[in-house]
Amino acid sequence: MRQEAQLLRLLEAILGSVFSPAAANETQAGTRRLELIQHFEETEACARQLEMGGTAEAARHLVALLEPEDGGEEREATLQDQVEQLHTLAEQELEARLAAAAPPAPAGPGMPWGDFVLEAREHLANIEQELLRLENSPEDTEAVHALFRSFHTIKGLAAIAGVETAREVAHHTENLLDEVRSGARAVSSALIDLALSSADFLGEVVAAAEQLDQGEEAAIPDDAGALLEQLYAATHSMPLPLSDDLPAAPPPRAAGPAAKSTRAGGRSAVKVDTAKLDQLVDLVGELVIAQSLVQLDPALAALGDPKTAKNLNQLGRITTELQKTAMSLRVVPIGQTFQRMARVFRDLVRESGKQAVLETAGEDAELDRTIVEQLADPLMHMVRNAVDHGLELPADREAAGKPIEGRIRLSALHQSGHVVIAVSDDGRGLDQARILRKAVERGLVKEQAQLSPAEILDLIFEPGFSTSEQVTAISGRGVGMDVVKQEIEKLRGRVEVRSEPGKGTTFLLRVPLTLAIIDALVVKHGANRFILPLFTVREILKPRGQEINTVEGRHEVALLRDRIVPVLRMETLLGESASGRATEDSVLVVVEAGPRRVALAVDEVIGKQEVVIKSLGDWMGRVRGVAGGAILGDGSVGIILDLDGLMGREGYGLAA
Amino acid sequence: MEEIAHTMRQDLQGAGKYLAFWLGKEEFAVPVGRIREIIPWQEITPVPQAAGYVLGVINLRGKVVPVMDLRLRLGMPFQERGVRACIVVMQPDTKRARSPIGVVVDGVSEVLQIQPSEVEETASLANGWMQMGYVNQIAKSKGKVKLLLEIDGVLAGPMEDAVDLQTPELAGCGKG
Repeated sequence: MRQEAQLLRLLEAILGSVFSPAAANETQAGTRRLELIQHFEETEACARQLEMGGTAEAARHLVALLEPEDGGEEREATLQDQVEQLHTLAEQELEARLAAAAPPAPAGPGMPWGDFVLEAREHLANIEQELLRLENSPEDTEAVHALFRSFHTIKGLAAIAGVETAREVAHHTENLLDEVRSGARAVSSALIDLALSSADFLGEVVAAAEQLDQGEEAAIPDDAGALLEQLYAATHSMPLPLSDDLPAAPPPRAAGPAAKSTRAGGRSAVKVDTAKLDQLVDLVGELVIAQSLVQLDPALAALGDPKTAKNLNQLGRITTELQKTAMSLRVVPIGQTFQRMARVFRDLVRESGKQAVLETAGEDAELDRTIVEQLADPLMHMVRNAVDHGLELPADREAAGKPIEGRIRLSALHQSGHVVIAVSDDGRGLDQARILRKAVERGLVKEQAQLSPAEILDLIFEPGFSTSEQVTAISGRGVGMDVVKQEIEKLRGRVEVRSEPGKGTTFLLRVPLTLAIIDALVVKHGANRFILPLFTVREILKPRGQEINTVEGRHEVALLRDRIVPVLRMETLLGESASGRATEDSVLVVVEAGPRRVALAVDEVIGKQEVVIKSLGDWMGRVRGVAGGAILGDGSVGIILDLDGLMGREGYGLAA
Repeated sequence: MEEIAHTMRQDLQGAGKYLAFWLGKEEFAVPVGRIREIIPWQEITPVPQAAGYVLGVINLRGKVVPVMDLRLRLGMPFQERGVRACIVVMQPDTKRARSPIGVVVDGVSEVLQIQPSEVEETASLANGWMQMGYVNQIAKSKGKVKLLLEIDGVLAGPMEDAVDLQTPELAGCGKG
């Protein structure tokens, strides 16, 4: 099966190169020619191995065609023609081959689904992006070509994997696009809808295949009856069920950076298993520790040899560099998530009867892959909210003197070790009076409570709060902003909301770039060291006697600049028996724990350091108050404390 | 690998190689297929708010590995660590946990072969009144008794505990 897949890849590369815009200059044209020759030669070899004589022959002709260095315009046309022929031929032969091959491996467990999943997924992402692009600019022939190729490749992949229904869906969609490509059919929103439905179905197939690949139980969906009927009807010149004269509402546009081609120009990439990446990062982490052990070795220092010292420094520099590079491997741009939002947005706007455009900015901002993945749900929820609650209906907008078309903006921005993602709309804004009324109704605040505007807005993040008076199909799913807040906090991020009545609402999500490394404060208690995420630390101080007060002889509170802060001793946290030493002899680290502050009494503050967060292993599960472990410079483990988790929701929970 | 796989196969038939170790005066045995390595005693970093028998975590070549005190896990009284104490790193195979876990024992004694014919079920031994938390089988090997530890039960996560460790299950014993 490898050979077949290889052949498909080659054909795809060839199509991409032949039908892409003409090369800008001679050097590029030359490179393209040589590349094509190479592709054709490989295709020929590949086809020979597969005993596909016709394809091999066609490929050889193409090599001959490109042999002369200068061919001019005319050759370009011949080339395109012949490539199309090569393609059709290869397809026929490949299909015949697959049909002749022993019974098409029934789609079932045990199949090597990995390749199928990996490749098909990539093409599906591409398809969605290109379809949305095509909807914006129906004349974009490049998008049509790209779509055609992607569906085509998926068709091939599905055939190889033996998923018949998926192959058929891809096949008919491809035919449909072929008609567009040849000018026999115009781009319409009905066509885009249909292609999106196909992509959705194929997405389901890929999802099921992925489960199978991971050894889980799953059934590959094979019922696409309705979809196939629609596709069939469409390709057989019957008017599409949804005709082009849709209601006056123009399709929502995703006004992204349309001018900028999203194609990765000139960058080459390799696909790597994430498990391997994680292993690499782990190993580099070990290397960093081993290196620091060597560097700090007193025996080596005692040598006093300048050459050794220099070499050690060199080793240190390289190690740091290596660690940075390894960490950067796990990073992906946020753009792909925005892309997914564009799709959701499109469907939402359709359903809601509103008119809106989606703008995106800062797609290049890079974040740890895990964070990007976990951001998708909260973001989707917020886009949903913005469309459903934020934007007014067209009539209301007109009455308010605003442009009928609403604007929703998704943007990302790097900011000192964090990425700030903003979701804004230019809708009606949050109604403070209504929020307050609702909060009082729900018993979240007292009626006479004096709250600042910001505090009122923050109420929407309270559990069980939902401002929508009408439950709609879109947002009324029982998930509120409190869930969004929790999700973001899990990523060690924060959510903020800003709103101006009549002008719109902006949600700001601040998330760290990576979950793997944090800036930390290392503290000492007894023989052990503990780690506090630096962003939670508010101040460090040596308490004076009068600042510490006991409560019922058991607890302690500190009075720090007119603020009462509970004192938590490390031994209480560890469940050790009281040391009996006075709190005044400790150092207090004031830490923000959710809405509260707590002063952690430790023996000593060692200093600030970057640490790599490691899980304590699945066996430990989630220990309340512990965010993980980190390996310190001397090879010992430091526990990363999560005081927010400890004090956060269920109150103290500590035995006194 | 071959050897481990072989041991595992034998395991299925009820016979195979076991690692025997001491806890006080009792000698326990665990299939070698579950053993990753045996490491000398080292400093363990305590984890706040963890279950009582969780001693903490260690750094095992760059991985953070939790360590438990098997005595406490089995509900036996606490005892100061002896000179032969070591950490046996085991590989659980439960739904919840797959990453290695360190288990502190008083000392490792030997690797031995146990035949199915040498094993007896504790349940049938005393007609049910002698119920033990994690020992369902006892083997006699070379005139000595080895307690076959139900290691998956022991290694099941702290959250999964059905057995209350503070009150060893001896219900019915007094009345009998």
